[in-house]
Amino acid sequence: MALTTAPGPTRRRTGSVPTPAGRRGAGRARHGDGLAGYVFLSPWLLGLLAVTAIPMLLSLYLSFTDYDILTPFSEVRWVGLANYERMFTADPSYWHSVRVTLTFALVAVPLKLAAALGVALLLNRAWRGVGLFRGLFYLPSLLGGSVALAIVWVSMFNREGAVNSLLAVFGIEGKPWVNDPDWALETLMVLAIWQFGAPMVIFLAGLKQVPTELYEAASVDGAGRWRQFVAVTLPMLSPVIFFNLVLETINGFQGFTAAFVLSNGTGGPVDSTLMYTLNLYITGFTDLEMGYASAMAWVFLVAIAIITAIFFSTGRFWVHYSDGEDR
Amino acid sequence: MHPATPPTTGTYAVPVHRTPVRRRRLIRGLLAAVVALPLVLGAAGCGDEKTSTDPNAPVKLSIFWWGGEARAKLTEEALALYTKKHPNVTFEKTWQANQGYFDKLATLTAGGNPPDIFQIDDNYLAEYASRSATLDLTSYKDAGDLDVSKFPRSLWQYGVVDGKLAGMAAGENTQGLVYNRTLLTKNGLPEPTTGMTWEEHIAWAEQVAKKTRVPGTQDPSADYKAFWVWLRQQGKDLYKGKELGFTAEDVTKWFDLWKGARDRGATPTPDVIHEGNATDITKQLVVTGKAATSWVWVNQMPELKKNTKDELGVIAYPGDPSAQWARASMYWSVFRGSKHKDVAVDVMNFLANDPEAVKVLGTDRGLPSNLDLRRVVSDDVTDPAMKQSIQVESDLAQKFGEAPQVPLKGHSKIRAELTKAAESAQYGRASSAQAAEQFLNACKSAIA
Amino acid sequence: MTATATPAAAPAATGPRGPRRSGGQAVRLLILIAIVAVVLYPLFWMIGTSLKSQEEIVNNIGLLPNEFTPGNYVDGWTNFDLSFGRFFLNSAMVSLLTVIGNGISCLLAAYAFARLRFRLRGVWFAVMIGTLLLPGHVLIVPQYILFRSLGLVGGEWPYLPLLIPQFLATEAFFVFLMVQFMRGIPRELDEAAKIDGANAFGIFRHVILPLSRPALVTTAIFSFIWTWNDFFRQLVFLSDLEDYTVPVALTLFIDSTSQSAVGPMFAMSVLSLLPVFLFFVAFQRMLVEGINTSGLKG
Repeated sequence: MALTTAPGPTRRRTGSVPTPAGRRGAGRARHGDGLAGYVFLSPWLLGLLAVTAIPMLLSLYLSFTDYDILTPFSEVRWVGLANYERMFTADPSYWHSVRVTLTFALVAVPLKLAAALGVALLLNRAWRGVGLFRGLFYLPSLLGGSVALAIVWVSMFNREGAVNSLLAVFGIEGKPWVNDPDWALETLMVLAIWQFGAPMVIFLAGLKQVPTELYEAASVDGAGRWRQFVAVTLPMLSPVIFFNLVLETINGFQGFTAAFVLSNGTGGPVDSTLMYTLNLYITGFTDLEMGYASAMAWVFLVAIAIITAIFFSTGRFWVHYSDGEDR
Repeated sequence: MHPATPPTTGTYAVPVHRTPVRRRRLIRGLLAAVVALPLVLGAAGCGDEKTSTDPNAPVKLSIFWWGGEARAKLTEEALALYTKKHPNVTFEKTWQANQGYFDKLATLTAGGNPPDIFQIDDNYLAEYASRSATLDLTSYKDAGDLDVSKFPRSLWQYGVVDGKLAGMAAGENTQGLVYNRTLLTKNGLPEPTTGMTWEEHIAWAEQVAKKTRVPGTQDPSADYKAFWVWLRQQGKDLYKGKELGFTAEDVTKWFDLWKGARDRGATPTPDVIHEGNATDITKQLVVTGKAATSWVWVNQMPELKKNTKDELGVIAYPGDPSAQWARASMYWSVFRGSKHKDVAVDVMNFLANDPEAVKVLGTDRGLPSNLDLRRVVSDDVTDPAMKQSIQVESDLAQKFGEAPQVPLKGHSKIRAELTKAAESAQYGRASSAQAAEQFLNACKSAIA
Repeated sequence: MTATATPAAAPAATGPRGPRRSGGQAVRLLILIAIVAVVLYPLFWMIGTSLKSQEEIVNNIGLLPNEFTPGNYVDGWTNFDLSFGRFFLNSAMVSLLTVIGNGISCLLAAYAFARLRFRLRGVWFAVMIGTLLLPGHVLIVPQYILFRSLGLVGGEWPYLPLLIPQFLATEAFFVFLMVQFMRGIPRELDEAAKIDGANAFGIFRHVILPLSRPALVTTAIFSFIWTWNDFFRQLVFLSDLEDYTVPVALTLFIDSTSQSAVGPMFAMSVLSLLPVFLFFVAFQRMLVEGINTSGLKG
């Protein structure tokens, strides 16, 4: 974790030495990296300055204005903190969307990751046809947020849909799932979990990176399958688990596509699927309150940054890097 | 164990050894630069270029609309006719489906390059007009360059926002109640008729439900256009000036009316009503067979027909039909900053009044605005569903009342809020009065 | 076929215990097939629907069409002035260039973050993660304004605003992904190379690049698929029918309040899955072969 956590906490521990802090071992000796570092970083830096940073800062600026997209920048009105005030004090649907999003992320993210890891472990071995199975499991994710997916999903999860037909076989009376404000969010979660292909592929790639000789060594030491999983697979996979955890959490909180697709862009029925970003999109584009939407986006950024920071700070207790910088 | 190191500002926080003041100044400077950059660059592009006085100078107009493939073919053909008559004018045509149309139009406008001519509806006309994104067409109308003399008066007036003519009606439609004729005849039930009261309609729907086990009517309490007609019949309106034209009591009464209908079994269950509340043609209950009637626009009949084997009929919404009006199904508007305003207006005029062009365009965007040409086009129509909808709308046109004002900015939010409030009443999460109050509060902040 | 990796890699891929008994193999296969059937039911339904008539799509919610309508595929392909193949080509081009752009630029940036020491590295890394966090919808308008003032919008070749960011490593997701993978590569390999006289560029070329294959393959797969499915940005930046990509073209079938050609839309949606599915199957083969670092060290 030296990469990220070390410049922070390490510096604090060692008494805030400016730049060379956080380096250790081999890193300390290499001062020649400075130039090379920036050479390798230059495309990203250029992209940051030319493509990413300016729009981000613009949106930060707009969050203090009444920008409505249609009015030219030169005429937007500075409203100070009014947008932020409105969000925290006068907008019940904002807080509703926060609750919806938290519920969604807390349930869907762990389940999706578990499904992805489980299937990845099943599909890690080489056997005839494994490629086909990987493809098949990835198929749902290929659909993204297309119009067709919306129709498929709604048809399966309405009163006459396939899900209820299946339940009827077991004598269970179904619900109108997607059309029921008490169950629409759960349907959304199922959709999100169903598209577990991306973290699965990342897990698979991570599993491939585990050096074989570690298993051989563990085998020689008489470690069983479970022991090997705990002692070799999990630690070696931890950077990738960490990546998936961070990214799927961010993804889960952003969770726009599924909600948009399933509710026809409304967040309905009765706002039951009004995810944070969907609310933001409706506010910005449909209601043309882009200034307010920008404020929402920046509050979102701060909140997710805090969550991500917590992940990073716990990471050094359980994420193992082979580059030796976590020890 | 590591010592507790509070990750207060995030573990990858900006280094703290810089003085905060310097940083703040830096950020402010950066922000200023960032904001200024597009302004400076944008200004360079927006210089007032002299409009050429030479009538034969080559002109390229951009034009943007939403619709399906059929509309694209017809529109392109009509524009080609214009180019044939004015070889110096060519078009840069962009079309897409309605999904994302207004997102893109707004983004283009923000970028300073909206199309010269664009299609728009009454949902957004006031939004664009009140921000002066649309050209005021009044002087063109007065000079006769934009000829609306053959339009029904209320139709072109339905394009006036704050005293300015912001859009030209590209077609006319009106509210239509579409019912499943096959289902009714099979069961020996009477067809509904224009002029039935709301109570009669509900009683009829109950009768249908009892006899056929198909609910007689979709509960339209979430549908702004039904609510609007009903309000006008009570002597109210959706908007009056810059205010709402109705009170919480009106909304409660409206919700109660439909609560009664639901209790009598005249409508489907709330989850099915929710399905039908989507504006999509393919989800209307009359074609999915989940109700005997749907609340739509008259000119949607032919497309509805394509989705069902059953025969359909169409009439006005219940109550006095004079509460309905000649509504512009959509408009053409010109961007105020267009470099070729005069030509753009001339193209619009051509699309509305040139006999050949109107014939090409047919009834795709609604009935032609020009009444003389409407008759010609109507005679040519062969599609029976289309014939039927034209017939009904022409009959209704005799009874139309004055057009209401164009919906205020914030209208799309109000539509969404009505749906939310009505559905919370339907799902039993709120009483009619509570839902009405919730709706009123949301409306007030939407138009504030 | 995908199962037979190179002989050297095969033991790695069979995992800790080597080949398993065929009984366990069969049980696992059965479990997998059962899961796959449930997971894929919606896709079967989608294929079934692509063979239904318009009227049936609206009214028949079942899996199979009553009236087999393969004509949807012909109608969909020829629905526009241009053949639908044109949109496939456009999408393929944008997606492939995105793969190349992301692969190169993100790999360079990731190497800097994962292995090199330079001033402000921690800050830049935090900024990079930060760019992942802002919901994209508030960036579209400012980005459009920016690109337009830079003269990139609506040029002769309208894909520039879609592709330039990809060549500048703006997809922080991939940078972060590659960083995490590179950090799994033992540093002793760098040290060994350095003893042999390699500098930062040499280490990148001879150690990191060859060992980054899983990360690169993953990036390629996601870049391709996500670009293939990206609707909003492509909608905003493309304005000419002949420039449209598959996701934009698919929405053209359904103007929900007027025309709807649901059957052809489903048919083309099914077809549009094929290229991405094939791309995935082709590339995931590279994930089958394990990496044997001992060979490199030895």
